[in-house]
Amino acid sequence: MTSHARAPAAAKGGGQFLDPAVLARISNLELLARTVVDGFLTGLHRSPYLGFSMDFAEHRQYMPGDDIRRIDWKLFARSDRHYIKLFEADTNTNFAVLLDVSKSMSYGSHEVSKLDYARYLAACLTFFSHRQRDRVGMVTFDHEIVEYVPPSMKHMDTILHVLDRAEAGREGSLYEPSIQIAELLGRKGILVVISDFYEEPDTIIKSIGPLRARGHDVIVFQVLDPAELAFPFEEASGFEDLETGEQIPVIPSKLKEDYIRLMTSHLEEIERRFTDHRIDYKLLDTSKPLDLALFQYLLARERLRRKR
Amino acid sequence: MSLLVPLFLLGLAGVAVPFVLHLTRRQRRNVVPFPSLMFLERIPYQEQRRRRIHYWFLLSLRALALALVAIAFARPFFEQDTLGLGENSGPREVVVLIDQSYSMEIGDHFDRALDEARAIFNELGPLDRASLVMFGQGARVVTRSTADRSQLTRALDTVRVGSSVTRFGPALKVAQTILEESGLPGGEVFLLTDFQRTGWTGGEGIRLPAGSKVTPIEVGEEMSDNIQVTDVALAREAVSGRERVTPTARLARRGGEQSTEVMVSLDIDGQELQSRPVTIPPNGSATVAFQPFTLSQPHTRGSVRVPDDDLSADDARHFVVSPGTALLMLVVEGGSAARDASLYLQRALAISEGRRFDIAFRRTNAVRPQDLDGTAGVIMNDANVDGASAERLRSFVEDGGGLMLVLGPSSGWPASAADMLPGSIGPVQDRLQGRGGRLGFLEYGHPIFEAFSGPRSGDFTGAQFFRARGFTPADSATVLARFDDGSVALAELRYGRGTVLVWTSALDNFWNDLALQPVYLPFVHSIAEYVGGRTEALPWFVAGQVVDLADPEALETAGLVSAEAAGLVDGLDQVALTPSGQSVRLPAGEGPRYLRLEERGFYMVRPPGSNPDRPFVMAVNVELEESNLARIDAQELVAQVGTTAVGPSGGTDFEQASDMRMQDLERRQSLWRWILIAAFSLFVTETLLSNWVSRKAGAGGVAAG
Repeated sequence: MTSHARAPAAAKGGGQFLDPAVLARISNLELLARTVVDGFLTGLHRSPYLGFSMDFAEHRQYMPGDDIRRIDWKLFARSDRHYIKLFEADTNTNFAVLLDVSKSMSYGSHEVSKLDYARYLAACLTFFSHRQRDRVGMVTFDHEIVEYVPPSMKHMDTILHVLDRAEAGREGSLYEPSIQIAELLGRKGILVVISDFYEEPDTIIKSIGPLRARGHDVIVFQVLDPAELAFPFEEASGFEDLETGEQIPVIPSKLKEDYIRLMTSHLEEIERRFTDHRIDYKLLDTSKPLDLALFQYLLARERLRRKR
Repeated sequence: MSLLVPLFLLGLAGVAVPFVLHLTRRQRRNVVPFPSLMFLERIPYQEQRRRRIHYWFLLSLRALALALVAIAFARPFFEQDTLGLGENSGPREVVVLIDQSYSMEIGDHFDRALDEARAIFNELGPLDRASLVMFGQGARVVTRSTADRSQLTRALDTVRVGSSVTRFGPALKVAQTILEESGLPGGEVFLLTDFQRTGWTGGEGIRLPAGSKVTPIEVGEEMSDNIQVTDVALAREAVSGRERVTPTARLARRGGEQSTEVMVSLDIDGQELQSRPVTIPPNGSATVAFQPFTLSQPHTRGSVRVPDDDLSADDARHFVVSPGTALLMLVVEGGSAARDASLYLQRALAISEGRRFDIAFRRTNAVRPQDLDGTAGVIMNDANVDGASAERLRSFVEDGGGLMLVLGPSSGWPASAADMLPGSIGPVQDRLQGRGGRLGFLEYGHPIFEAFSGPRSGDFTGAQFFRARGFTPADSATVLARFDDGSVALAELRYGRGTVLVWTSALDNFWNDLALQPVYLPFVHSIAEYVGGRTEALPWFVAGQVVDLADPEALETAGLVSAEAAGLVDGLDQVALTPSGQSVRLPAGEGPRYLRLEERGFYMVRPPGSNPDRPFVMAVNVELEESNLARIDAQELVAQVGTTAVGPSGGTDFEQASDMRMQDLERRQSLWRWILIAAFSLFVTETLLSNWVSRKAGAGGVAAG
């Protein structure tokens, strides 16, 4: 937790790069991911947080039952104690991003739409994992699977390409795609779900829960626009559902409180349900820097690594 | 209710404005795309309620106010009959038009028409007025605009079927006049007829006053078979110094299903002379030639009849024929003219069927007064006329006589009477080159050449002219024939009541060979009859024609042979007996004495109280057009009779009068002011109400709609 507590300070150094508005000017996703990850890592090096490195290792005292092949004999020669040399594992796990590209994701009240934000996030996380030598994969979905890139060490470019051309154009639904995804991703791995989750909490859990039940480590990022959270509208307007096209006339001043109350309640319910299912959940505001998401991811990875 | 400016009714579309505003205000509002409405839809309070119209009453007030404004601008006004004085609620001016053309005599058509008229008169309201108009070719008002039913009913007892044809135009025009002069608000015209198509052209231009209508009552049905005598030809010939006439009748049949044999009879002076059977096919015709009869008496009456059928008016053809009379022609051959210069002329005039010309011949240059007594025409053949003779001839021509100068080498005319001639006489001109001159132009429209206008009706081009006198026509003269070099061959000048002709070449065979051509005889006869002023008498008139018995020419046309023999002396009263036996008095006077020939049969004209042996008689036959019983749809006719309110394009004056009347009505009523006040009141009420409602609604944010 110590490292986590320092994360904001670390993020500050690369904040100028992680600001979504700045990132939006970088059209090349690979460049964007590299910029974000390198800058982010650069900031991290100044911290005691070890991060991930192929060369990193630590020693701990030999305990009965440990593999004697892992004893550091050189250290034994110098110290006459048995230490086990632990190398940072080459994780080589499956990493897949499940990206919601339903029409509602195209919403953005400022320069960066939710889809853009999610795209940056997916690119960065994939880049991270790729560096970690994970097999990276990608699924984009709305009410069905739109693109599927199976996890592989060689699919980084493909994923970036898929992300680059992803467009939010159709009505979304979580349940049906999740069933298909569970079938596609048979091998356990890390699944990052990025969506705005405009579904009933029961439906969300019913959709995501089976993935967790299959042994995947599921990290959920709910991406919302600040306008969705704060409902800053004032003028009486017709509100049009981006996915269904339905319009209803709304006087925002009369509805704002109710809306925020409902939205908060909804978010709290989602978070509670995910927690109950031991699913990492993070709400992301598209106006906020990406580092929060990255830290959330790293935190989850750390937890996973420690579990090993 | 009518509208002065109905175009403003387009403003009624403004009623939709409140609705459109309501809808467009909703649609024009900003549309905010939002990722999902799942939370918004859960909130019970929405502006969606704006979609519904909550205050129908307010909206109705707005719409009604806008509609009233549009109506006010259209300037409405009430027509007279819609102000409670309509045709069913107020007194009417009723005009009953009864067809009395001879086709109405079929069956009981006329009686049915009279019964219908009685029924109409019996149904008149206490304030209604009615007129009775009988019509055929013309229209006659029997009773004009009266509320006395008994008078109207009595008038029906006096009317009879006539002999004329059907013409709806005059009758409807009379009805229009009666209605226009009436002060009653409503008008109705009852048209009782068998609706023959021949009676309506559609261009009569009838415009009944506003609020009037035409009610057609059909009283006839088409006849399936009708035989009619359509024509009688009267060929004359002279046999042993007496004139014989061969009547040939032409019969036609309309309808029928199989050939039928009918007996056709010829009556002369009331006695049946002959009868002939003839077979006529359906929708066919036949000709019947009777044996000739000797014509010895003037004003001989004749009739060709077939047995009566349902339409008897066309079953007889009447005619009047008199023995032909000879024209006395004076032929004056100049003293210096060649011998026998008039030989061909005299011989040609002497040859005719019957004695058409009496010839008086003198070889001299002078014309004595006694030579002109009883003379119809004078032909001066190569004569050098002196001044005194010219003056006598001037008087003769002014009184209606005819003069023809045939120019030869010795011809001359005194300068003192040069104005009588159609030009000035020039020297002799020779056409000796080649085959001589020809007649190159003939005025075939002139009575002299009219008989030669048809194909193979006389060839003048065969005649060669080697010599003629030069002639310069006067401005007032008419050139009737020219030679092929353009020089004048025949010229005419109407002088006084007579005429003067100049023929610039000879009528013998010295200067030309016209006398040797076949066309010579009819040409000379035609010229002589024109110069002598012969008028062909009409064997019959058609019902509806009018004869002026004070006009000698009209009487001559009517076949009067001798006024003295008929007892018709100028300055004495006359009486005409109609075929039905009625007497029409024709008092003497300075003006014309018109006799309207309305009945078919024979009209006899004589001095009152006398009974001459051979009175002046005129035959009258019906117009056969009326025998065509093809119908016109009554509604079609009614539809073509316009009214001022909706009348088709008619006269400009009429339209102006109609417009002015409408404007006057509108101005006097000024309904638009009241309607505008009502609209303004509605607007005020609506404003007050809506403000009150808005305040009551408070901060609800709900649109009133």
